[in-house]
Amino acid sequence: MKKKQLNVLFRPERSWKKAVLLPGFMIMLSVLMIFSAAAASTLNLQQKRVTGTVTDATTGEVLPGVTIVIKGTTTGVASDLDGTFAIDVPSNNSVLVFTSVGYAPQEVTVGARQVLNIGMQSDVTMIEELVVIGYGFKKKRDLTGSISSISASNIEDTPVKDVLSALQGRAPGVFVTANSGAPGAGITVRVRGYSSLNSGNDPLYVIDGVPVESNTLSTLNGYDLHGLNPLADINPGDIESIEVLKDAASTAIYGSRAANGVVLITTKRGKEGKARVSLNYFSGVSEITRHLGVLNAQQWREIIIDTYKNLDRYNNATTPSEPHWTAIDSLNPMNNGDVDWQSVMYRKAWQHQVDLGVQGGTEAARYAFSTSYLDQDGIFLASNYKRITSRLNTDFKVSDRVTIGQNISFTNGRNNRINAGGTGNLSLVQSILVRPPIYSLTYPDGSPINYFNGKRNPVGMAEECTHLNVTNRIIGNQYLEYNILKNLMFRTSVSIDFISMKEDEFYPTTVDYRAGYNWGAVRSRTNMTWANENYLTYNATIGEGHELGAMAGFSMQDWKMETTGLDGLYFASDNIRTLNGAGTISNQAVNRTDEHSMLSYFGRISYNYKGRYLAEANIRADGSSRFGAENRFGYFPSASAAWRFSDESFADGLGFLDDGKLRLSIGQTGNEAIPNYVSGGEFAIGTNYLTYSGASPTVMPNQGLRWEVTTQYNLGFDLAMFNNRVSFVGDFYIKNTSDLLFAVPIPETTGFGYITRNIGDISNRGMEFAINTHNINREFQWSSSFNIGFNRNEVVDLPDEVLTNGYIQNGTYHILQEGQPIGTFYGWKFLGVYARDEDNVNQVRFGSATGKPFIGGDPIWDDLNGDNIINDEDKQIIGDAQPLFAGGFNNDFSYKNFSLNVFLQFCYGNDIYSHLNNMRNWVFAYNNVSTDALNRWREQGDVTDYPAPVRNDPKRNEYLRVSDRWVEDGSYLRLKNVTFSYTLPKAITSKAGISRVRAYVTGENLLTFTHYTGYDPEVNSYEGLQVGVDEGAYPQSRTLIFGLNVEF
Amino acid sequence: MKLKYIKTAIAVILLMQVTACTDILDKDPVSSFSASGFYKTTADAQAGVYGIYDAAQSVFSYNFCYWGEGRADNVQTAQTGESLTLLSNNLTNTASSADWTALYRMVSRANYAIAYIPGVYEDDDPAGMQLVGQARALRALAYFYLVRVWGNVPFITEPYTSIDQDIFIGKTDKEIILDQVEEDFKYAAENCIEKFNSNNDRIMFTKGSANAFLTQVYMWRHKYTEALATSSLVMSNTLYSLVPIADWGKMFSNSYSKESIFEVGYNDTETNGLRILYAIGSYAIYTPSVKWKASIEDGDLREDFVYDMVPADPKAIWKYLGRGVSDEISTPAKQNIILTRLADIMLLRAEALNKIGGAANKTEALSLLNAIRTRAGLPSFATEADAIAMYGDLESAILQERSVELCFEGHRWFDLVRTGKAISTMGPINGLSNEANIVWPIHQNSLNKNPNLEQNPFYQ
Repeated sequence: MKKKQLNVLFRPERSWKKAVLLPGFMIMLSVLMIFSAAAASTLNLQQKRVTGTVTDATTGEVLPGVTIVIKGTTTGVASDLDGTFAIDVPSNNSVLVFTSVGYAPQEVTVGARQVLNIGMQSDVTMIEELVVIGYGFKKKRDLTGSISSISASNIEDTPVKDVLSALQGRAPGVFVTANSGAPGAGITVRVRGYSSLNSGNDPLYVIDGVPVESNTLSTLNGYDLHGLNPLADINPGDIESIEVLKDAASTAIYGSRAANGVVLITTKRGKEGKARVSLNYFSGVSEITRHLGVLNAQQWREIIIDTYKNLDRYNNATTPSEPHWTAIDSLNPMNNGDVDWQSVMYRKAWQHQVDLGVQGGTEAARYAFSTSYLDQDGIFLASNYKRITSRLNTDFKVSDRVTIGQNISFTNGRNNRINAGGTGNLSLVQSILVRPPIYSLTYPDGSPINYFNGKRNPVGMAEECTHLNVTNRIIGNQYLEYNILKNLMFRTSVSIDFISMKEDEFYPTTVDYRAGYNWGAVRSRTNMTWANENYLTYNATIGEGHELGAMAGFSMQDWKMETTGLDGLYFASDNIRTLNGAGTISNQAVNRTDEHSMLSYFGRISYNYKGRYLAEANIRADGSSRFGAENRFGYFPSASAAWRFSDESFADGLGFLDDGKLRLSIGQTGNEAIPNYVSGGEFAIGTNYLTYSGASPTVMPNQGLRWEVTTQYNLGFDLAMFNNRVSFVGDFYIKNTSDLLFAVPIPETTGFGYITRNIGDISNRGMEFAINTHNINREFQWSSSFNIGFNRNEVVDLPDEVLTNGYIQNGTYHILQEGQPIGTFYGWKFLGVYARDEDNVNQVRFGSATGKPFIGGDPIWDDLNGDNIINDEDKQIIGDAQPLFAGGFNNDFSYKNFSLNVFLQFCYGNDIYSHLNNMRNWVFAYNNVSTDALNRWREQGDVTDYPAPVRNDPKRNEYLRVSDRWVEDGSYLRLKNVTFSYTLPKAITSKAGISRVRAYVTGENLLTFTHYTGYDPEVNSYEGLQVGVDEGAYPQSRTLIFGLNVEF
Repeated sequence: MKLKYIKTAIAVILLMQVTACTDILDKDPVSSFSASGFYKTTADAQAGVYGIYDAAQSVFSYNFCYWGEGRADNVQTAQTGESLTLLSNNLTNTASSADWTALYRMVSRANYAIAYIPGVYEDDDPAGMQLVGQARALRALAYFYLVRVWGNVPFITEPYTSIDQDIFIGKTDKEIILDQVEEDFKYAAENCIEKFNSNNDRIMFTKGSANAFLTQVYMWRHKYTEALATSSLVMSNTLYSLVPIADWGKMFSNSYSKESIFEVGYNDTETNGLRILYAIGSYAIYTPSVKWKASIEDGDLREDFVYDMVPADPKAIWKYLGRGVSDEISTPAKQNIILTRLADIMLLRAEALNKIGGAANKTEALSLLNAIRTRAGLPSFATEADAIAMYGDLESAILQERSVELCFEGHRWFDLVRTGKAISTMGPINGLSNEANIVWPIHQNSLNKNPNLEQNPFYQ
């Protein structure tokens, strides 16, 4: 939220003392400041001097920074750190206007007095909040659409490490899931559900007007399924506000990229006044929230021997099988250990961040500078993330009419990753859980074991492999604003988002089973976006109470991405990991350039009659190079209206009601996130004949291809009651997406497998509520905010051509089916375990009529069609990964200089498919399993729900069988953040020239209430549509942080 | 800054924008080409044709064997899966060899080339015509296999460049398709170049290779007179000559022999299925059948190149991978797959001569047959009677010779079908009894995607 700011002149004496401490380029700014301030001071006519102190009328605390202006002039001062001020007024009749953010303005006639001590009344109603909207601002009370705002105060005072996690639980209808707990890992954000099947569901992110890259650019995810979060490049400390635009009225101004919502991020700008230096530091320690139970050495030996026995029973073997020697021979030093590998591989991990910020300015030049350094160890051995950011935002008033300025930020991120997620043998989270507890890491002579009986050395995998991602990023924006007329303003801006990323991967000989075998890869990627935006804004008040606003403009944006990479094998040495050391460059050289551009026209008109009747209409025309020649431009209109019924006469009787507004909106947005060259078809090179370079048609053209269209209806209301101590926002929406982009299979006689077409429908319906209350507002203060969002997602229509057996298989665990939501799990249903052979009365068989019948110890699979055969026809819907509702509950308590923030976050009704649990309960080869297996079926008559483990799993009871045994309730309630802080009294700090010293301790993820048996219910192993799967993601951690904020 | 300049600057910016217009939206691919915009230069035309050969590589990698040998009597298999399905004549609509995707990809690439290459060259430029010739020959090759494997199939000769085109194409009578196959090969025989003077003579289409395939097509259609004409052009072509027996094995293991007419090229990185089909130690999909081994005459010098005669139950086929191939050596399967060679054409000609009949023709047929026999160290048939005495009739003697000379090269099944011997040969082995069973079923995926396509009658 933008707090309304009045222009204030300031006193120069203190500011430049501080300015000399700043880096060199800041000195120039200070010089500018001094000149302009000196010029300003000559304007003061010295007739009478009034001095005084401004305090908070409730607490009696002195208030610095209160603006004091002589009414009818622009002459004014601000109260200093002690709350004192001095101002020269022309006469006794002069009226002084005292204003400060969060307080009601006061007008005082000077009279004969020379000392004025003023007590300011705090008043929540008088905060005229400005909300950032697309191409402009709007008073919050005049909003007609649905927008959730998160202000700096939510982010500043807690040690948030990235922007997206700051959104979690703060905005209703915005569902945020960290895909894994790895530092810098990707985060999934869904605004009002899933609205696309093939074109992405991520919102558009716009930072200070620059649409930025938010998709993972990492191409070397290795065996980790997770990408990285490109928005981790943004320092959360720089953020002034985050607005999430949700309904079509708010988003349509972003046209063809707005169907998944728009997130507007606004960074801090300098404010007029002396230089404010802020220094923030925090340091914390994280640890894994829980260890999962695994069998110890003795239990492992027993179950391995069991698997052989059970196999003999299945085969009616006459001579018993000989179990593997590692299971019998407990004396061999190679396998006589007893280790829970989790305690070897997980560690207490430290993190530190330091931020330095300087901001201030004159009327002519304002600046905000910040730099930060984060060093975060991951809880898994050897993982680490380091980030350096720097930002400078400046605004210069060139003349009365012209302002120019820029925002520029640099980021350098170094992410030392490990192969965490995924199912492969190389993937660490899973592989250490299934690693037998008995294996040794070293030979008796102390040398490390690279590979033993199917298992790589996990310590070597973590410490000796390279998975380095280095990202350098510049986001910059330069603008010019020109007030052509009093009411007419023109703004033009040029912005870039430049990302240069390099990734290195290397697996040394010490983790491989092949002697002398090592391999590596390198990828480099640059991503360059530039945009130019131009628009005119017009505002006028016509007659009495008729406010008219209009905006019109156009923009161009261009993207270019270049990818280069090479893989190598047989490096001469494990110590030379660059590709020049490779003995063989494998046949996977990558070099590709992709381009994309847009040209857009947009406009808005708004009308407001006394704040009682409000209306607005938006339109955007987007042309995109991705669309077919026949549909190059798309038009995205929206309209909205609001009625402030509390201003009507009939509301006079409702004394408790301070404000009441009804909002209604309708509009269309699009999704243009399709591959770049689909519409024109594609002729690919690389279809070579021996050494002769060939080219072939690989994508069939569809000149009629267009964006997906989302039509959204929104009904909302805003209420403020009981002297604004209770405010309430509610929204109901229906969001229908049609013309879904689909790769529709076509006859292969065309030479192509698919053609991308616009076909199919999805709907999202839901409601969102947010309630903010000031529960206690005395010396002890307690305010809370609660929000909750419900969404029902449904795939309404799918093209028949893409359906097999009535559905589309979506990855391994999900299907897409009409009438069902995205994230529907599909598999076999587990009904229990046959206690005895003869309990299988119907002789249900595995796979086919000639398959083996299930016997005692086997799972009872639901034979859906009753044919006594368990096969694909018995698969059914076994879960839904989308929650019924999710939200957050925030509480702020303060007493004198102490404050406490308690933030809870929750999510209810979603299922998780834990493939990790499948892997942990399937004795594959000699894998270790979970302690649940202690409850396993052992002999005829055992009544249990844990089947007998069978070597090689001949009936595929665990192996590749997607079943509801691994579907778990993923609901959770989490104590996400508790921060306790103490601010030193101003009386003490001001003597040292310090305006604020705050010390705090924060606990993150302190408690989680859930039935989920994995590491953490907040997990999402696949980006995209295969939502809610736990493949063994890098676990979330519990963190304790100590921090200090100091301001000068 | 003077306001005037700012106004001017804004005016300039606005002007730039308006004039920039919508050109910035025309983004053609940088690392690839838009489908319609590819064929612009002669180099593009050449690359487009190489792209068709690339498709042919994947067509024949495994299927030359599944189609040409998998249902016939020369091979046996110890494996389940595709190989057993075919040999036991239990073809299903999910068999991998019933999938024609790769063949139609080859057709599609050829259709693009045939449609767009003429626009790159001046009319009648021989350089352009020889490229179109290669493209048409490759399309004909694809359709020749499509018709022989599935019978009537969808027939498409135009590239797909717009969604408005009809994509649900039903079947066309196979004779109409074969007419076009003949036309395409004839065009190639006229317009392809005589020779490349390099190894490309064996792996790309020339006049000679077009004539060789024309001979195969005519023999398939029982057009013996026409086959005589084209086969004589092949035999008189100086590019081709029989290799001595000492080099017989190298034809397959080294590729690019003098005897070779057309082979699909492979190398270290573009590999094929030969190793898996014939030579991965105990896992090879196919080994020589007992019947075939028994059919070889004593003293045949070729046998030793083909498989390991020492064990009773050989584990591999040595032809292609090389004598003594061991699965300990992880060399990739990079040998070219020979689709036709001089011995094939000579024996086809012998067959045609025999069919037309007449003393002179019979004499020439016998001499062609003897040329192949004597190279293999077998005695000549002095007269037709000798051949009859041994094999019942001359045609059978020629077919037997083809079975041994061209063993495992993907000819046997088509020879049986072409000569009407498929049921009589395979019936006793796997119960093949219905003419309609000779074609493959259409893959279920293809039927699912095309409502205008009907399953072949036997498989309905």
